[in-house]
Amino acid sequence: MTHREAYENKEVGLIDILDTVLDKGVAIKGDIIISIAGIDLVYLDLRVLISAVETLVQSNMDAESLSSDRFDQEKEELTNATERS
Amino acid sequence: MSLYVYLYGVIPTPEDGDNPFSSHKGIDNEHELQMKNYGDISAVFCHVEEEEYGEEVLQEKTNQMDWVQEKAFHHHEILMNIRERTALIPMKFCTIYQSEANLDDMVHNHQDQMKALIERLDGKEEWNLKVYCDRDQLSKNVADHNLNIKEKKDEIAQMSKGRQYLESRKLDQYVQQEVEREQDAFGSALHEQLTAYSVEDTVKKNWNRDVTGKDEEMCWNSAYLVPLERVEDFLEIITNENEKHKSSGWILEATGPWPAYHFAKLT
Repeated sequence: MTHREAYENKEVGLIDILDTVLDKGVAIKGDIIISIAGIDLVYLDLRVLISAVETLVQSNMDAESLSSDRFDQEKEELTNATERS
Repeated sequence: MSLYVYLYGVIPTPEDGDNPFSSHKGIDNEHELQMKNYGDISAVFCHVEEEEYGEEVLQEKTNQMDWVQEKAFHHHEILMNIRERTALIPMKFCTIYQSEANLDDMVHNHQDQMKALIERLDGKEEWNLKVYCDRDQLSKNVADHNLNIKEKKDEIAQMSKGRQYLESRKLDQYVQQEVEREQDAFGSALHEQLTAYSVEDTVKKNWNRDVTGKDEEMCWNSAYLVPLERVEDFLEIITNENEKHKSSGWILEATGPWPAYHFAKLT
């Protein structure tokens, strides 16, 4: 069996289909009354998940930008707080 | 109530002129698939009722996950069916026109471009790659093999309790950053190998586990347009790399051949 046949016969999951069918493919603006994915209102119930994804991405980015300066500053604040108590 | 037009895709007009898809039911499970000839190219579509596929109804329906799942599968199945027979410009899920006249206008306006696009896609296949990894295993590997981290750990062990807490937290963060760097490096290196065999490629965003439903974390998501004669070599790389890195927690998943969803672009 060729590699191609082996992969071709593999089952494709819902995520794979949604990741392509909803997200990609040609949409020509104009007379289309609705091209769901085009206006990003789809991914539907996934929408909720998507916003969760976005939040996650955002928080990852924040974590990366957490410089050692900021970290030191936090540390200082924490030290101060413990000293006061 | 009027009939709308649900468009699946555009294909080169079959030489015998027959509609090879007439035995298929359309997205509403009622109207049959039709093919409309515009000279060199033809549109594959089905009629749908306005009351079922009008804008407002559709907004409503797309909130129902099981509806989307069923219909997205249908859309995909039809396109796969077409793809097996001929070159194809695949349309997005739920590309709907208000009338056949509107479809005609659209095709006429884009006819030359569509012909060129079909020619460009002919003889090539789209393959998608998703790389997953076992984050815990990778974190452990990184922590075990990164000398900086080892040194830092020894250092921390000598510190006072209060500083230990803070420094460990900092170190954990550093480990996670290294893990992400590792994931990205793995994906990029693989991607570079694969693009040697593709004529076009695109790197997509990763989905989190809520969406994928997998235990492992998605850390690379990409698509490739591969000439038919190179598909075997292209896939062999994926198979071999998967074999090679399985024990370190990487999973490479290739799917295809897909309709050229990622590479069919009209302006």
